[in-house]
Amino acid sequence: MDATAIESRLREEFGARVGVAVRSAKRLYASVDAADLPEVVRWLRASLPGCRLATSTGIDLREGIGLYHHFVVNGSPLVITLKALLAKPEPHAPTLATETAAADWIEREIHDLLGVRFDGHPDERRLLKDASMAGELPLRRDFDPVQFKERIGERPEF
Amino acid sequence: MSDPSSRHVVQIGPFHPLLEEPVGFSLTVEGERVVAIDARMDYIHKGLERLAQERTYDMVPILLERICGICSVTHSVCFCNAVEDLLGVEIPPRAAYIRTIIGELERLHSHLLWVGLAGHFIGYNTVFMWAWKYREPVCDAFEMLTGHRQNSALPLVGGVRRDLPVEYFPVVRKTLDELEGQTERLTAAVLDDPVLAARLKGVGVLSAEAALDYGVVGPTARASGLATDVRRDEPYAAYAELDWKVVTQDGGDVFSKAVVRLLEILESIRILRQCLDRLPAGAINLGTLHVPRGEGIGRYEAPRGEDIHYVRSNGTNMPERLKVRAPSYVNIPSFRSSCLGAPMADVMITLAACDPCYSCTERSLVLRDAAGARLLATPGLIEASRQKTFELARALGHAPDLELDPA
Repeated sequence: MDATAIESRLREEFGARVGVAVRSAKRLYASVDAADLPEVVRWLRASLPGCRLATSTGIDLREGIGLYHHFVVNGSPLVITLKALLAKPEPHAPTLATETAAADWIEREIHDLLGVRFDGHPDERRLLKDASMAGELPLRRDFDPVQFKERIGERPEF
Repeated sequence: MSDPSSRHVVQIGPFHPLLEEPVGFSLTVEGERVVAIDARMDYIHKGLERLAQERTYDMVPILLERICGICSVTHSVCFCNAVEDLLGVEIPPRAAYIRTIIGELERLHSHLLWVGLAGHFIGYNTVFMWAWKYREPVCDAFEMLTGHRQNSALPLVGGVRRDLPVEYFPVVRKTLDELEGQTERLTAAVLDDPVLAARLKGVGVLSAEAALDYGVVGPTARASGLATDVRRDEPYAAYAELDWKVVTQDGGDVFSKAVVRLLEILESIRILRQCLDRLPAGAINLGTLHVPRGEGIGRYEAPRGEDIHYVRSNGTNMPERLKVRAPSYVNIPSFRSSCLGAPMADVMITLAACDPCYSCTERSLVLRDAAGARLLATPGLIEASRQKTFELARALGHAPDLELDPA
C-alpha cells in the first residue's frame, strides 16, 4: 500500500479522529488524539504486514509536548508518523509497550528526558539519564545546563 | 530445576572483558538457565541530541560522526537524508556515489570487526586474528580516500564536502580483490567448521514474530528471515542504480547472523567495485542551502541495521529538534526474547550476535570541548592515569615505590 491508499483507509476507519497529511509518496503524517493511539496502532499493525515501530520522538513545543511515533513497513519506503499533542504541565499518554515490545525503551527514554508519563507502562525505571539528573528534564526548553552544573557542583576532572 | 528459591542474579558489566563499552546486564538464573534479563544503560549518555540543537546544519554532521566509533558515516549521512527529505532535494550523482563508497567501506570494516569479536567471544581466537588482519587494509583504504580511518567529515547536507582522490582507486581495488579471496576462505571455513556449527547453530534464536515485535533491524532481522534493508526499501545514495542483493537467512540463531554478515561483506565488495567503475563526473554538492520550517525523516542502512533520524526545523540555521535512533537501540532489547531459557554460557555470544553498540544506543560524545572543558592529549591522559594510581596507592597505604613523585 502506498501513502495515498493508507490515507484513504485511515479516513475510512477513523473518520475525523485522524488528521492525515501526505507529504510525499514515502512520508505520511497523521495527527491523532493521544487516547486513540493504541487503537490506531493496533489497526496499523494488523492491516500492514511487516509494520513495526521504528522509534518515537518527544519534542517540547510551545503548545505542549509533541509525541511522534514513527512506524516503518518492512520492504517499503513508507514512514508513517502518528502525532499526538500532550498538554503541559503533566503530559501523559497511553503506553504502546503493551502493544509492541519496540515501544518499551523509547517510552522510558521520553519519560527520562521530557517527563512524559506513559499510562500502563510495565517498567517506568530510568533508562538513559545519569542518576545525578534524576529530577531534571534535559530536553525541556526551560532546562538550563549551566544552572544544573552549578546545582550539582562541577565534578572534579579526575 | 524451576525452583524459584534457587535463583541467582549474575551481573555482566558495566565493565567486563567481553564488553567493549560499558553496559550492565543482570541475568537471573536458575541453575544454568537464564530466566530473566535486564539491561542498565545509563553509563555513557551525554546528551548529544541537545548538543545538535545548538549547532548549524553544516556542523551537525561533524558532531554526529562522533556518536559511534564505527558508524561515523552512518549517522552523518542519515542526518543529511533527513534534511534532504525536509528540503525535497536530490543530491548530485557524484555525491551519491561517494556516499555509497564510504558507506560500504564502513560496512566492510564493521562486519569484519564483528566477525573477529564473535570469534573472540567463543574462544576461537584464530577467527579473531584473521578477521582483524583483513580489516586493517579496509581502514587503510578508507584513510586513503578520506584522510582518516573512521571519521571522513565528508557528508554535508546536499552532497559531500570534498571529492575523492581517484588516483588511489587502483589501491582500493587491489584491497577489495584481496579481501574477496580472504572473505571467501573465511566464510567457507566458518560454514564447514563442525565446532562452530555445534557452538552457534540453534543458539540465541530470535523468531520472525519476535523480531517484528521488537522491531529489530539489519543483520539481526535478516537472520530471522525478515527481508528488510533500507538500501533496497528506500534507496538513498546510489543504491537504486547498483546490482546487489539482500542477504537473508531463516535460522534466527547466532550462526545465521554470522552467515548474513559474512555474505554481506561479499555483497559490499560487489557494490564498491561498481561504484569505483562508474563514479560519475559533476558537482559534489548543491552549495549553500536554506532550510525552511518543516520536518523530515531520514533512514540509512548502517552495518547494524536501519538508522533513523527525525529533524524538525523552525527556519533558523540550527535544527529545532534532532531525534537519533541507532540500530542497536532496537536490537539490544530483543535479548529478552533470544536469551530467555538459554544456558548462561550461550548468553554472551547471543548478546554479541546483534553487534551491540552502546555508544550509539546512548548517543554519547567522547569529545569534551563543547562545554569548554579541556581536551586531553595522550601525555595528559597518561599523566592523569598516573596521578590516579598514586592517589589510590596513598589511600590504600601501600606500595612505597609508587609513592615516588611522578614529576
